[in-house]
Amino acid sequence: MEKDLVEYIAKSLVDDPDAVVVNMIEGEKSTILELRVAQDDIGKVIGKHGRIAKAVRTILSASATKTGKRAVLEILD
Amino acid sequence: MIREFEGKTEQEAIDNAIKELNLDREDFDVEIIESEKKGLFRKGSVTIRIHLDEDDPPQEDVQGEAREDSTDFEDKVVTYVTNILDKMGFPGEVSVAFRRDYKLGLNIDSPDSGIIIGKKGKNLDALQLITNVFSGQLDNSKKVIIDSENYRLRHEEYLVKLAYKTAEHVKDSKRSRLLEPMNPFERRLIHTALNDILDIDTRSEGDGLYKQVRVFYKGIQI
Repeated sequence: MEKDLVEYIAKSLVDDPDAVVVNMIEGEKSTILELRVAQDDIGKVIGKHGRIAKAVRTILSASATKTGKRAVLEILD
Repeated sequence: MIREFEGKTEQEAIDNAIKELNLDREDFDVEIIESEKKGLFRKGSVTIRIHLDEDDPPQEDVQGEAREDSTDFEDKVVTYVTNILDKMGFPGEVSVAFRRDYKLGLNIDSPDSGIIIGKKGKNLDALQLITNVFSGQLDNSKKVIIDSENYRLRHEEYLVKLAYKTAEHVKDSKRSRLLEPMNPFERRLIHTALNDILDIDTRSEGDGLYKQVRVFYKGIQI
């Protein structure tokens, strides 16, 4: 499931895995995943020029083809 | 011990030798005995001679065996990729494909390999990037390369062919051509492929990671 996927990847990238929280909001055509991490870890999930965030979104979209629903990742701070 | 190897380029010949003898690059001396260029678009072959110390072979075997054992690092990275694929809903079997210097090559075997690779390898690249961020925390000196269905090799061949084809068009039309945006590794392949082709020059244009290569004619303008 997409929520597990985002949570697993986020936890593997940050220093403080316990602070990782993923909130899933299901819509009709799309699923929104809100990712919250510790303040100091935000850079780690975004990366330089958003490279990591982009890669996570790519993996998420690939995974979402299975359900046919669009999955959107929002990184909150 | 002296052995001879051939390849399209010096590097390829050396790589062949490393592969066949299961050695590190530092373990032998290389002597280039033949380097010829054939034709305009075809690169010639390079023959190299490898010099090994006579005492080396038994030592090689020990080293070869040691390399067979997977390390803690490898286990963790393989598990990591396996878990991500599982959670993506496209389970696959992840195995170590090669170990070379600081590089660890992984192969994904899955019925859904098409999706795992993605359009132009997009998904495979994303997975590789995330995996490298993760593995960098374990061992910063290693780089992980993820492949499936031999995509990376096929893609390299495609790019080299594309480079030659574009060069031919440019030679005929004497007008430059701009290729689609590529990452540094892909661009390097294009530049290297066209490096020794007469009347053709290449240059990267644009900003950021994904620049575009322009192939242009530098011969006499008519």
